[in-house]
Amino acid sequence: MHRVLPTIGAVLVAVVLQAGLAPYLAIGGVVPNFMLLVVVTLAFVEGPQAGAMCGFGAGLLFDLLGSGPVGPMTLVLTLTGYVTGLLQENMFAEGWLLPLTVLALASLGAEVAYGLILMLLGVGEPMIGTFFTKMLPGAVYDSVLALLVYPWLARFLRRERAMTTFKRLA
Amino acid sequence: MKLPQPDKSSLKPTLVISLVVASLVLTTMWFREGDRGPVHRLQNAMQAMAAPAEVTGEFVTRPIRGVVRWAEDLGVSRSELETLRAQNTKLRERVAGLEEARLENARLRALAGFVQQGQVKPLLARVIGRPENSWEGVVTIDKGTADGVRASMPVVAAGGLLGQTTRVTGHTAKVRLISDQGSGVASIIQSSRAEGVVRGSIQGALNLDFVNRDATVKPGDVVITSGLGGVYPKGLLVGEVTKVANTPAGLYQSISVAPSADLKGLEEVLVLTGATPAQLQVGSGE
Repeated sequence: MHRVLPTIGAVLVAVVLQAGLAPYLAIGGVVPNFMLLVVVTLAFVEGPQAGAMCGFGAGLLFDLLGSGPVGPMTLVLTLTGYVTGLLQENMFAEGWLLPLTVLALASLGAEVAYGLILMLLGVGEPMIGTFFTKMLPGAVYDSVLALLVYPWLARFLRRERAMTTFKRLA
Repeated sequence: MKLPQPDKSSLKPTLVISLVVASLVLTTMWFREGDRGPVHRLQNAMQAMAAPAEVTGEFVTRPIRGVVRWAEDLGVSRSELETLRAQNTKLRERVAGLEEARLENARLRALAGFVQQGQVKPLLARVIGRPENSWEGVVTIDKGTADGVRASMPVVAAGGLLGQTTRVTGHTAKVRLISDQGSGVASIIQSSRAEGVVRGSIQGALNLDFVNRDATVKPGDVVITSGLGGVYPKGLLVGEVTKVANTPAGLYQSISVAPSADLKGLEEVLVLTGATPAQLQVGSGE
């Protein structure tokens, strides 16, 4: 990881926002996941290894913040960070389409995986009931937020490359 | 143009495998250890550290929430207003009747030498945090062990039962709402005395489960706690039946319940402290 301090700073800010702001941004019971935004963005600009490490730390903090089991989001964000980094390396798309696609896929994948793990652990509900009420709306919400914050977050996490818009990323 | 490519030579699958294994170990530890285990203690420490952020968030967003609520109230139509007025009149009549029943109950108890065993001490607490993710129905209050709050204490709001305390730190406590998917409240229908369990769901809807098919239940019936299970005292208002459905193959009735307490716009709550939950007994309504 090339930029450790900005990454730690971004994760800590995300924790504070998750605890203090995210509950009040809930729409229909769907709460945005700021930790996911940081992990996906970092994986996108730094690659799978940094994504996995950041995912582990951010996921652990997310789990500790809640009152449910510790570990499910840690696992999900670790894998999300890793897979997002791999997708970024191996997908061939130009312009804003690539980050948008990866962000949407990562958000949906993370939500579905988290719901699946909770269900397997016996603390969640059947997938059919939660897919349309929690997972899909959550993924859409996170993707929309990611679109808003991604260019700024990416710029902060990797300052040596100018990333102010999606267009300039490509 | 292509995106800047990270150095592929630095990819280490062993790292991600190690992190995945560590995640699984953490999950196992959380389930296997008790409430005093290291992972639970870490979770409690995190809860205490997050409290200032939650308080700040609650304070900063309060005016905005007020404006949103005001805007929502503007949307109440004339027909809804008429319905509410009619409902208000009906409720006033019911309150008058209940007041009479309460006085009669007090007289009869005095005559029978009734001694209330539980020493219920309501403790006022402020809600400082709301669910941090989409999967939980848990709020944070600003009272903890320093104020006498312990785990598994009933919590009520203005309208009725809210939930119970779960994780408690020095100055904060998590309250699992009755609408949480992990919540279950032993309840009875006030009129027919049919027993069941009010359970929450991931969508936040309440269902009264395990009510026999032969029990008489209809929309509008009041649901109260039964006192079974040792957590919630008997007679707390849980909600009102909104829908009853019976399927030919079902063993029990499918009953939807609307919570009496406003579970979303919570500001202040009461924690019933002062005695072990199993000892708490308030007016039974029987």
